[in-house]
Amino acid sequence: MAESYDIRSVDRAEVLHYLGYSGQSLSPELDSRIGEVVERCLSVARPRGVTRVFEVAGRESRDGLPVISLSGTALDLVGNSIAAHLEGAVAVGVLAVTAGAPVDAELRRLSLTDRVAEVIMDAAGSALVERAADAAEAILVAQAAERGLYVGSRFSPGYGDLPLLTQPVLLSTLDAGRQLGITLSPTLLMSPMKSVTAVVGLFEEPPEREYVICDECLRREFCELRSAGRYCGRRG
Amino acid sequence: MKTENSHDLLRSALAGEGFLLFDGAMGTQLQERGLAAGELPELLCLSNPQEVTEIHASYVAAGADVVTTNTFGANAAKLGDAATVEEVFSAAVSCARAAHPRYVAADIGPTGQLLAPMGPLAFDDAYELFAHQVRAAEAAGADLFVIETMADLAEAKAALLAVKENSQLPAFVTMTFQEDGRTFLGTTPEVAALTLSSLGAAAVGINCSLGPAEVAPLVERMLPWASCPVMVQANAGLPRVESGVTVFDIGPGQYARAVADMLDAGVTIVGGCCGTTPEHIAAERALLAGRRPAPRRVRDCFAVAGPQRLVALEAGQVGVIGERINPTGKRKMKDALRSGNHDHPLAEAIAQERAGAQILDVNAGLPEIDERAVMCRLVSELLSVTTLPLQIDASDPAVIEAAVRSYPGKALINSVNGKAESLAAVLPIAARYGCAVVGLTLDEDGIPATAEGRLAIARRIVAAAEEAGIPRHDVVIDCLAMAASTDQSAPRAILDAIRAVKAELPGVRTVLGVSNISFGLPFRPLVNATFLAAALGAGLDLAIINPGVQRMMDVVSSWRVLSGEDERARLYVERYADRSDSVQAPAGEKCVPVEKGAPQTAAPTDPVDHARRLVLDGRTAPMADAMAEVLVHHDALFAINEVLVPALDEVGRRFEAGTFFLPQLMASAEAAKAGFETIRSASAEGAATADKGTVVVCTVKGDIHDIGKNIVRMLLENYGFDVVDLGRDVDPETVVKTVEERHVRLVGLSALMTSTVPAMAETIALLRERAPWCKVVVGGAVLTPEYAQMVGADFYAKDATETARIAGEVLG
Repeated sequence: MAESYDIRSVDRAEVLHYLGYSGQSLSPELDSRIGEVVERCLSVARPRGVTRVFEVAGRESRDGLPVISLSGTALDLVGNSIAAHLEGAVAVGVLAVTAGAPVDAELRRLSLTDRVAEVIMDAAGSALVERAADAAEAILVAQAAERGLYVGSRFSPGYGDLPLLTQPVLLSTLDAGRQLGITLSPTLLMSPMKSVTAVVGLFEEPPEREYVICDECLRREFCELRSAGRYCGRRG
Repeated sequence: MKTENSHDLLRSALAGEGFLLFDGAMGTQLQERGLAAGELPELLCLSNPQEVTEIHASYVAAGADVVTTNTFGANAAKLGDAATVEEVFSAAVSCARAAHPRYVAADIGPTGQLLAPMGPLAFDDAYELFAHQVRAAEAAGADLFVIETMADLAEAKAALLAVKENSQLPAFVTMTFQEDGRTFLGTTPEVAALTLSSLGAAAVGINCSLGPAEVAPLVERMLPWASCPVMVQANAGLPRVESGVTVFDIGPGQYARAVADMLDAGVTIVGGCCGTTPEHIAAERALLAGRRPAPRRVRDCFAVAGPQRLVALEAGQVGVIGERINPTGKRKMKDALRSGNHDHPLAEAIAQERAGAQILDVNAGLPEIDERAVMCRLVSELLSVTTLPLQIDASDPAVIEAAVRSYPGKALINSVNGKAESLAAVLPIAARYGCAVVGLTLDEDGIPATAEGRLAIARRIVAAAEEAGIPRHDVVIDCLAMAASTDQSAPRAILDAIRAVKAELPGVRTVLGVSNISFGLPFRPLVNATFLAAALGAGLDLAIINPGVQRMMDVVSSWRVLSGEDERARLYVERYADRSDSVQAPAGEKCVPVEKGAPQTAAPTDPVDHARRLVLDGRTAPMADAMAEVLVHHDALFAINEVLVPALDEVGRRFEAGTFFLPQLMASAEAAKAGFETIRSASAEGAATADKGTVVVCTVKGDIHDIGKNIVRMLLENYGFDVVDLGRDVDPETVVKTVEERHVRLVGLSALMTSTVPAMAETIALLRERAPWCKVVVGGAVLTPEYAQMVGADFYAKDATETARIAGEVLG
């Protein structure tokens, strides 16, 4: 269930992307400052996650909206966009990951002492929690491969018409409060702020999109299959 | 049902003289019986009591003394409309009783919400949720309470207080830790043990988290700091999924062997958590047969704790208490406490921590404010920026009580004194909330002139404290420094008094606010430093000083070498190897150096160009000098309108055009801010010219994301606006009240989530009703011009530079 992820780097381009970077000239001092804050983020963060796989129990229509129900959990996935995303899935992987409360604490301190570092830390935290989600997804990919299944892309509550109200049940399904320390505000915002929840479909056929080659895969450094000389997609 | 014998078992366990065996997992067992993930397991007590009782009975059969009710999440917030708290506890205790255990423990888990200041749940509201459970469990006939799986020390404290104040039954409190030895919120085993046992927990310990082998070293760290029995309910190792089923990897035999090591270390209360089964409990039962509790040694030195850090002083060690968070004689601090914008004290806290303070004194004593409310909010905000334990400094016992009640740690109270009235008012608070306390050597007759007089008062304070149940190692005597300029015999009397207290009252620590000694003399820092050295020599344990003054920290660092505390002078050499009288180190250290690696380009010769250049390059450090240079030849108006504003406008244009990105914008704004500060402090005229009017900003109710709002605030400040930042998750009423009180003409509201946009509309509606003169600009990730119109805003700003432009239009 809960696992700690050993994340030693984040994608620098992604941090810059979150900061709105689009090829501006970057002074050496700003460059090194970004590097220092990213290192600080990596050193305080405690990336952890939980994953579980549930079989698709049925697809029905409720109040005019498609609903995917899963066996062994009270979690229902409601809406047209998730129905399309999981079309044909035989099972669903559910994940929750967090960069941990220390990143929030560091952001709070920086908001008082160093606003530039604060925005960099915020971007670094976002990039880091995406890495954690990649790591969680890698675990689901390996589990799917055991069954000869293929994993689709991540979809989170709040995307499309999948309601944010999915969050409470999704988190309790994973016991994310106890396992990860994730709590929800009455307005359904997660704390720690740098946390991600998502579902992925498990399919009998590889998704239509081309499977990326391992060297370009975001899950590369977390992949159990690759270290065993295997591949998650269908070759050639 | 209960025999005299069964009473003795609990009593001897609470005295640490016997063992107590709890049950194992409930949740894992329920899931094996088909409970769906994401459902409320507590409701099974009502819908399927037979099943729940069968699980309890299996643990009783395995030899458990105590079974724990299936009520982990049975609080009013989590249950919602599904059932009442009373219904669930009544059913749950009945289910447990039906299994005929010796004792039924009412189980209380976390609320599931994050407490303030990082989260939305107020301490008092958490307390009420727990108190509701406690009353329901007591009415249902539970024998004791188990507060478990806590990650937040504040929440554990709220639950423990709820038991203590609503029931006579004992409360066992366990927290859950990660592999790094901290809870999710950073609390260590030492801090948890010290805080909760000082507060009166019947037992403290660790549950859930990890397997017994990983828990063992953590519980060993807890044992020396717990003045009560220590309890462990570990998981059956780490869970993993095997063909769709969760299995745990530690069997009963291996589990019991790991528990045996913990019993040897001094643990006396055991059981199991996730993944443990009746077989695990039976193995523990066998383990306990014929054993005696291992002897324990609990530390008896002075120790206080913040939620993440324990500070202990063994005999011969000295500590530094930072004195800066105190409005006396500090204009900025007074302004901060009056206005409610606590950024200045918070920044002082961070600076003092970096400079080497180990405890922070917090004083919010101003006549014209609600000291109690301000103190509580200040303490809560300090907790989010510093890990140091706090010293609650107030003369009104009601202020002290309010602050220490919700403080997640063991606080130091400043202070009690020898007056009968003070002893009667303050000591019970320290005892009830498990705090250490500073005792001032003064009484109804004032401060005695002699060392003997001060010692006599110290004796009375220590005796009264012990009478009230406060151990003497939690008492710190302040012999009170008096000005040497008015009485030159005073310094010697103070030093003699410190020596006398240390000699005559062994175990008691001493503290001193040092700087009074130099009152009325020139070059006070020198006198203060000399007196501090003398006081340390006389046996002073804790110095209340400004750690930002290098001279004072030099005395402390060098004393630690002379006293042997700094072994092999390791820290001293590390810090002072490159120092000499000609090379001064700055006080404190920077976390992220601003100017590191800055290119040493030749500065333009014209000061005006130079200052503009610094804004464009985003270089803060040289700005003060550069602006001072500008002000030699020009007035404040010129410096603002011809230097800073045009440079900022250029920065804004570059940002709009995409030639600057966010950190560059921020760095430029930072540099401009330094320029404005120089202008403001240079002259009253400068201060007046620099002020362009007030803007209130906040993130709306329900939204906890404030980075966008912080960027807007920084930019507005740097254009010279006076920004009142109300923070995040702000109630509409608070916004409107602030606007009314100061007749503010512009409010900026930020929202990041679609779910919080309605709160934005609500805030604007209330503003229209009560402050129709005020304009509103909105922004945030989900906002669009259409949304802005829909919620009734006057302006939509797509980014911070646009907000600054709008503020210029509205207030200009």
